[in-house]
Amino acid sequence: MTSIASRTAAGENDRPGRNNWTTWLRTRLGRTVPPGQLLPDRQPVYVSSWIYVFGALTLAALVVVLGSGAVLALGGATWWHTSSTGHFVNSLHLWSVELFFAFMVIHLWGKFFMAAWRGKRALTWITGVVAFLGSIGTAFTGYLTQSNFDSQWISTQAKDGLNSVGIGAWFNVLDPGQMLMWHIVLLPTVVGIIVVLHVILVRRHGVVPPIDAETEPAPDDLGSSS
Amino acid sequence: MTGSYVHWGVLQISVTNLVIILVMIAVFVLAIALPFPSAVADDEERERP
Repeated sequence: MTSIASRTAAGENDRPGRNNWTTWLRTRLGRTVPPGQLLPDRQPVYVSSWIYVFGALTLAALVVVLGSGAVLALGGATWWHTSSTGHFVNSLHLWSVELFFAFMVIHLWGKFFMAAWRGKRALTWITGVVAFLGSIGTAFTGYLTQSNFDSQWISTQAKDGLNSVGIGAWFNVLDPGQMLMWHIVLLPTVVGIIVVLHVILVRRHGVVPPIDAETEPAPDDLGSSS
Repeated sequence: MTGSYVHWGVLQISVTNLVIILVMIAVFVLAIALPFPSAVADDEERERP
């Protein structure tokens, strides 16, 4: 029987087997984003434009949306309807969502006109589209979660609209409990995962260069170009 | 209280939503047109002998 000391001396622990899932995961993550590009402190010179700021602004607004939503979940509907603090957090949630969508749409316009799907960035573009659509669904279920006459009116209009396109049997917008769960659990989870994938893909492929740029810098050159 | 609406053929939009869209377009144009602060600083630094 081989002793632990002799196995350590032989360096067995330095060479984990192929079936080691942590090794596989570490290798896979290392391949997904180039070294140093997950949280870079330098960007290519063409990123020095206000139009490149709107992606980060969208993420910042999303953080406020999630934070204010978490506080609303703590207090509940009676709190955000009757307490002045609840009204404030409710408004914070609403206006951060408004800014989230405004920033996201300006980000979308910018990326559309610079054809940001170039250079193997199609999946980055597609995850952005899916995140946009998922966010719209999350916002709509938020309207239904207000628990006031506005949400009742919107739910009846949504019911007619969804039935007219044949998807009314999948879920019931007149069910406030179901829509609340969709709004605070299912849809934010889906949007959150897609947003993380979107950001990882942006870091993997780098920020898209302007259309008239002659060559794309390699990830290794990013640090010296600004 | 009913809001004010702009009618254009079959299209109808509230003045509030129209103003928001116009402001977003203005922000988009400004984001492209205005120089980014660090870019200005870098250019000045480069021009220095």
